[in-house]
Amino acid sequence: MKRILIAEDKATSRELLRTVLQQQGYSVDEAEDGEEALRKITENPPDLILMDLQMPARNGYEVVSELRKDPRLAGVPIVAVTASAMQGDREKVLAAGFTSYLTKPLSLVQLRQEVTRLLENGA
Amino acid sequence: MPERQPAKEDPARANENWARDGQAEKRFRRLLDAAPDAILEVDGQGRIVLINQTAEKMFGYTRDELMGLNVETLVPASMRAGHVRHRTSYTAHPQMRPMGTGLELRAQRKDGSLFPVEISLSPNPGEEGGRVIALVRDITARKQVEDRLKAIQEQYTAELATKNQQLEARNLDVERANRLKSEFLASMSHELRTPLHTIIGFSELLTEELEGPLNDKQKRFIGHILQDSRHLLELINEILDLSKIEAGRLELQKEEMDFAGCLREVIAGIQHQAAAKNIQVDVRNEFNGTLYADRMRVKEILYNLLSNALKFTPDGGEVWVGAMVQAHELQVVVGDTGIGVHPQEHDTIFDKFYQVGSTTEGTREGTGLGLPITRKLVELHGGNIWLESSPGKGSRFSFTLPLPT
Repeated sequence: MKRILIAEDKATSRELLRTVLQQQGYSVDEAEDGEEALRKITENPPDLILMDLQMPARNGYEVVSELRKDPRLAGVPIVAVTASAMQGDREKVLAAGFTSYLTKPLSLVQLRQEVTRLLENGA
Repeated sequence: MPERQPAKEDPARANENWARDGQAEKRFRRLLDAAPDAILEVDGQGRIVLINQTAEKMFGYTRDELMGLNVETLVPASMRAGHVRHRTSYTAHPQMRPMGTGLELRAQRKDGSLFPVEISLSPNPGEEGGRVIALVRDITARKQVEDRLKAIQEQYTAELATKNQQLEARNLDVERANRLKSEFLASMSHELRTPLHTIIGFSELLTEELEGPLNDKQKRFIGHILQDSRHLLELINEILDLSKIEAGRLELQKEEMDFAGCLREVIAGIQHQAAAKNIQVDVRNEFNGTLYADRMRVKEILYNLLSNALKFTPDGGEVWVGAMVQAHELQVVVGDTGIGVHPQEHDTIFDKFYQVGSTTEGTREGTGLGLPITRKLVELHGGNIWLESSPGKGSRFSFTLPLPT
């Protein structure tokens, strides 16, 4: 069973993502802030990471730049999930090392498609 | 005995001529004295040999004191040496000219006080030789006016500089406020979208009924939540868009773009909305060239106008879009057979949050921001937008986009 880690500080948002992903048949792990995400990912690398950009302790940009230094995690897709809708955010996110970018509010269809695309193709 | 006198020299007549000559000199004297300028004649050694009354008054000397006085006495001490030099060279090349062109000349009274003057010189080549006539004009009053004017001018210049500084400071304040406003809107938009994310997400989850079946009432209620939260999201997005446009922060990503393809995509996007009202959108595009424009924003303009047309047109009505080149511009028209707009509302309809009084039954309310955004987007591209419509006669929205040169 493929494992997905959700790094997100808001409990309701974590539950929404967890529910959708578990319905799809994935195993889900959760982290409430950047530090916890970094620890859990390096201890036990998941197959996919969904990460909010604004988190306490360490934000998504900091976590992703740490993760990309670890050769074991080089191939793990990391999807940025953000409520920010400013111009230029997408470029900034991809330049930081994220694999792709989803904006809140998420469409469930889009979320499922993106996860399937990243986990079922080439895996 | 009135006998005719012979025409030869007559002593009495000679006497009469003498008297006339004396009379003439008096008249010349009065003429000199009436002049508002001081008139001085100076001999080759610089001695004053002739003056008028004005000279006495101007310099404060009596006639007797002035006659024979060295003319340098009337020159300020600091200028005397120079004056002697200039006088000598003038005597060598006499000609009528103003003295000290471009300099601020001053003369000295008997009491030592100085006053500004203008002097013109003319040679007087009499039998004595080397004499010069000087006309001296006291320009104290004129200088005072000039100085006053200069002071006023300097005061205005200083005030203007202060005003400019204040204006620059205010501009900085405005820029700062504008930046803060944009940052506030960006973060507000972020904060509003975060809870909407879970409201919409959980509503969608429930309507999928994967967690268990819903009864009809529950489905309807959740449908309302979903519809209104999507409406709220649209509103937030449009407010953010409009504020970005107004803050000058929305930058067009211009590129060479194919208009016909762009239009096809928009038509495909509104097909669902059109089919729901049993309307066939008629496309009459005559333009197959390229535009230099922001593709996404051109689509947004077309989408806003077409979805508006569909919204205000009753079931089974007509909606069409036409495009053609007119006067070196692309002109696009979106028309419908909808409820129309009263001419009084043709301008206000482009204002923020303005909505026409009545909509067709069953249409979802809009945000009231679609047309203002559409107009701003057209104008950002350098085009115009306008409406032709009247109640019951449908509406024609037209806009222009510049063609690449």
